[in-house]
Amino acid sequence: MSMPGAFLGGAKNRLLPASLPFRFFVAAAIFHILAWLVLFAGAADLSGFVGGSGAILAALHLLTLGVFALTAIGASYQLLPIATRQPLSRTWPARASFWVIMPGIPVLVFGMIDGGAMALTVGGVLVSLGLLVFAVLTADNLRRATSMPIVAAHGWGALLALLGVIVIGLALILDFDLGFLGDHQGMALLHMGLAVFGFMGLLVLGFSQVLIPMFVLSRALPPRYGWTHLGLTIAGLLAFGIGIALGDQRVITVAGVIGFLAGGVYVWLMRNALKSSMRKRLGDSFVLIKASWVFLLLGLLIGFGLVAGMDIPNGAALFGFVVLVGWMLSFLMGILQRIIPFLASMHVEGKSGRPPLLSDLTPAMPLKIHLICHFSAFALCSIGIVLDIDLAVQIGALVGFAGAVAFATFVAIVIRKLTSTAD
Amino acid sequence: MVDDLPGKHWTEPDGLHIDVRGLAPPEPMVAILGQLEQPDQTGPVTVHHDREPIYLYPELAQRGWHHQIIPTEPGEVRLSLTLTK
Repeated sequence: MSMPGAFLGGAKNRLLPASLPFRFFVAAAIFHILAWLVLFAGAADLSGFVGGSGAILAALHLLTLGVFALTAIGASYQLLPIATRQPLSRTWPARASFWVIMPGIPVLVFGMIDGGAMALTVGGVLVSLGLLVFAVLTADNLRRATSMPIVAAHGWGALLALLGVIVIGLALILDFDLGFLGDHQGMALLHMGLAVFGFMGLLVLGFSQVLIPMFVLSRALPPRYGWTHLGLTIAGLLAFGIGIALGDQRVITVAGVIGFLAGGVYVWLMRNALKSSMRKRLGDSFVLIKASWVFLLLGLLIGFGLVAGMDIPNGAALFGFVVLVGWMLSFLMGILQRIIPFLASMHVEGKSGRPPLLSDLTPAMPLKIHLICHFSAFALCSIGIVLDIDLAVQIGALVGFAGAVAFATFVAIVIRKLTSTAD
Repeated sequence: MVDDLPGKHWTEPDGLHIDVRGLAPPEPMVAILGQLEQPDQTGPVTVHHDREPIYLYPELAQRGWHHQIIPTEPGEVRLSLTLTK
């Protein structure tokens, strides 16, 4: 192999077959649709939701596992080898992880709606197995990392949080039948905190160090601020866990303060990236991404208000909705609409022998419809939660469903272009 | 503005050279695209990199630049960039 060929080979090792990340993204787009549909079905229970089985718990897991985790896993398999400069050691376990998690999610969710212990257990075990395979593959890649220590450190933090999420999740499932947990609701809160702010949050914070400057074309971000929000996030999660374990509201309040500081440092860092951006127009994806940062701070403020004893109408449900839909879903949808055409472009050559243009791979109309529907759904459901209006939640969920269908249409169009160009 | 870009750059008879070796992502992409977006830049441009910048290619194509890997010494990936539109 010639020297350029050798380097090309190295690059191709880092670039996975398109079918690998794309299967996760397609599944995430489908679970996104299902999440809004199940929320519609359980709309009457949203405002007063503080935990427990039923449609809201099912919608929550369709979103967190079906959309967030699958997106994060698909993106990590492809993006982490680029950041660490190390290829995945094997690709078949990555494929296997998909085929274990993907069927496990609907089974688990069915168990949450139905209350059946068998479905909960089988679904929980399947999902946990898939997540563990992802954790092992990612740990192996991080262990060999030769660059980007800040991204690798966030990755390690995310994996530790993921182990906590899996152990507590399985314990919660067993507790439905056996009732051995002293504080089921507290453990459920810790499970959610570790999943959203630990596993997903640390992955988002870590990848943001590279992806946001890459998308906006800004200088690399100063690592010391990245280390600061990593340290604060871990400290906040530890304090939260200790607070739950001791049942001490003061420790939980301290965790809220630390968490807000972590969010503040992260958003400030991202704002600095935008300020030094060389791109004049960032497009609709960054409307979602910038809004997600505002919703992160808003969500953390609501959470802090709750632990500080403020009387926020249906505050628990509002906190969850703002964090999950406002922050995480907005951010991931914004990122996905950037990386899906990007990855597609790298995998095919057009008739001219060059990659197709990103603009040709990015259909504008479905994304515009998704953008409008996403924010409308967020506003309607939030109003419904605060004012206890089930109809507003129902209409919001339907609008969200329409937006999710539009987003899935975008994914389908890109894949059709990918396959037709490759032919 | 160009002087604020990361990496090194200089001009030779065959055009602009940009050396982004040793830079962490996304600085190489920022350095290269920042140079290409200068109003008077029509190429050719030679990039000295320490790995194949696969994420750069879609951005180059979007801006009408064609890339070609040219043989060079071990440890370097050298790209020749030409404007096609």
